Amino acid sequence: MTGQDLMGLVVQLMLGYFVLVNLGQLALYAVSFVEVSGYVRRVAFSALPDLFASNYVPPVSVVVPAYNEAATIADSVRSFLSLHYPGHEVIVVNDGSTDDTLDVLRREFGLIPSVHPMRQELSSAPVRGVYTAEASPLIVIDKLNGGKADALNAGVSAARYPLVCCVDADIVLEEEALLRIVRPMAESSDVAAVGGLVRVANGSRIEDGRLVRAAVPRGLLASIQVVEYVRAFISGRTAWSRLNAMLIISGAFGLFRRADLVAAGGYATDTVGEDMELATRMHRTLRESGRRYRIAFVPDPVAWTEVPTTLRVLGRQRDRWHRGLIDTMCRHRRMLFNPRYGTVGMLAMPYFLVFEVLGPVLELTGYALLVLGVATGLLEPSAFLGMALAIVGLGALPSVAAVFLEELRLARYSSWRDLARLLACAVVENLGYRQLTAFWRVRAIGSYLRSSQEWGAMERRGFVSAPQPLRSASAELDREVGLSPRMR
Amino acid sequence: MLLAGGVSAALSIGIVVAIVAVRVLRALRRRRDARRCRLVEPMLYRALELGTTPRAVRRLRARDLELLSRLLVEMLASLRGAQGQQLVRLAADAGLVHRDVGSLESRRYQVRARAAQNLGFYGATEHTERLAALLADPEESVRAVAARALSRIGTVEAANALVAHLTSASELTSMRMAENLERIGDLAVPRLTELLSSEEQADRRGQALAARILGNLRVTEAREALGAVLGRRWNADLRAQSTLALGKIGHPGDVPTLVAATRDGSWPVRVQAATALGLIGDVSTVPALRRLVGDDQWWVRVSAAQALANMGGAGEAALTELLRGADQPARRHAASALGPSTPVLAADVIGGAA
Repeated sequence: MTGQDLMGLVVQLMLGYFVLVNLGQLALYAVSFVEVSGYVRRVAFSALPDLFASNYVPPVSVVVPAYNEAATIADSVRSFLSLHYPGHEVIVVNDGSTDDTLDVLRREFGLIPSVHPMRQELSSAPVRGVYTAEASPLIVIDKLNGGKADALNAGVSAARYPLVCCVDADIVLEEEALLRIVRPMAESSDVAAVGGLVRVANGSRIEDGRLVRAAVPRGLLASIQVVEYVRAFISGRTAWSRLNAMLIISGAFGLFRRADLVAAGGYATDTVGEDMELATRMHRTLRESGRRYRIAFVPDPVAWTEVPTTLRVLGRQRDRWHRGLIDTMCRHRRMLFNPRYGTVGMLAMPYFLVFEVLGPVLELTGYALLVLGVATGLLEPSAFLGMALAIVGLGALPSVAAVFLEELRLARYSSWRDLARLLACAVVENLGYRQLTAFWRVRAIGSYLRSSQEWGAMERRGFVSAPQPLRSASAELDREVGLSPRMR
Repeated sequence: MLLAGGVSAALSIGIVVAIVAVRVLRALRRRRDARRCRLVEPMLYRALELGTTPRAVRRLRARDLELLSRLLVEMLASLRGAQGQQLVRLAADAGLVHRDVGSLESRRYQVRARAAQNLGFYGATEHTERLAALLADPEESVRAVAARALSRIGTVEAANALVAHLTSASELTSMRMAENLERIGDLAVPRLTELLSSEEQADRRGQALAARILGNLRVTEAREALGAVLGRRWNADLRAQSTLALGKIGHPGDVPTLVAATRDGSWPVRVQAATALGLIGDVSTVPALRRLVGDDQWWVRVSAAQALANMGGAGEAALTELLRGADQPARRHAASALGPSTPVLAADVIGGAA
């Protein structure tokens, strides 16, 4: 076999890989299209205002882990307290913050010390104090630092209600988000957990903890992430949920039946991908128990989150997400190709292993060989160009299709400028951004093999609570929304 | 290679064209609706002003009728009395009622749901049976809308239809039936009470919801039926809801029944017994509640301590006594319940317990 033959084989293999990835994504897209369309038609008759006034909707405990969130915590808690829901409490867990998060809460909500006895169903770092607000259903737990998962466990332990909604402290929830996400749980006690749609807040106008106008940010990096999130959440998770094989419920916004969450053992504190690990573990324990269950996704209850705007922070975030994915796959490897775990073991986990864990390795190796081929003359520049065009064309298709679904059914971005920007990003993301994220993910495999459990510094600026559009071109933040949006 | 790239590029371009078309069509439709709205809306105001249906309404085309029905529903959501009646007549004169009754059997669930929703606003008692049939619709949205429509009609027949579907395969549907029965109120009481007496185990969820509704409506006449079900060993949820309902009704005559419920083998029943006794606030029940503060179950302890805290002096005295006792869980819960009123003592106890 000559070098040219070998290069031809590389080109064919790489092309085959891209076609396969695309086919997988388009198959998920087709399922999502039907699901989202049905959901939007049904929600028109869901009578959410009636549910809001109902005495029969199950009450919800909203658990908010907070670490050094002094800049945003007051606005966030106010927005969580004012959610349209007939009965909910907000539990903020101050996870040993070194800034004045607790003081801000004390001052803003008139907290008083409480001797409320906490159930210790899930272990967590020692609690220093519990506070309640006089005028609102707010409980604040002050504990020693133990990490996000540990804080969530403390919050879940303290929760009084049968449904627990875990949210990030710096997200903005739409007023009816809780009513919408609870609906599948109210429909059937088989539903153990529900994931909610997370969108990118950068560029949107946020006032008093409320999203006033959705817009696509001006910065390229954040704009591309808008497309990523649309593709991942609307096209991806909806389909996995239909197949009852959704492996992740975003740490930014997810609802759980408390009893099932506790029975599964709560959040794992020794992983950087605790949200994916929990969802996968819940699948595992529920399948093993033989109980009929569902882990659902609702493509409409919207949580808005700020995304990184610098390559450094984005790279760190993606590195951590990928380590979380690998860790989850390793911990639950016995589920892989195991028919006992149904679609999770036979479909979702193999898909994630091949296209998400190993995909970036194959992709980067292919790129390197192509460049090497051109450099050594084994590959014609025209063939290289053809391959590059094929990669862009194939890569853009799922994103453009996702934007179509967004526009047709959800239509959150009203201006033509935003639409044009989304479509441009769907193409542009394949010219450098995609390769860069593949690189970060390959690097993450190395980090994982070196057993790195680093989270990276959490640098947040908070939402701009002002009439001007939220811009975070210089914001350095590192958040944990879930796994890479490309993973769905 | 070029084929793959070309096909995907062509598909992407096709989708982009579709996106643009969707947006343009949406804008055009919005503009058309606004134009038609300017034509139809004045007819409604004229009808309200004249007290009769303008002739032009009878000549409206199908798509204008759709717009008319939406505007009617919006207005009827806030209008009552003579003006509301005038609009209901207008809906009938325009042929909307006839159209929507026919649509209840459409194969498309959106059409069925829309028709049911409309009939809830401008339908009449004779449509109860047709709407009731939709309570068993395969689509949850349709069942929800039909239930709301029946509660708007608000007759005994409507209430009976809702009671008949309280035990639905879908929990959400059962919940919808319950909230709409609560809206109907007194007219629903006889059939709800009857349901409580049913010995059918298949009615479990429906019975528990019936007890809950009767409690929320504070129906004194239901006391006997609620008390009677406390002896049913096979339905703990019903016993718990009946116990709470008796507490909400708050009749002193039910205190012995509730005290007996504090010894129920099922802890949710004991929780509700504690809550119910707290709601009634009879000081003679303090010993029973004190006993419950030492219960095996966390929720029972919390509820009993809270009930004592709500009982004024006698309850607080019992809690203070528990604070000084040897039972550590009871001390913690007593401290929690007393917390805001006696923070120093409570904090001391918690500190000591820790």
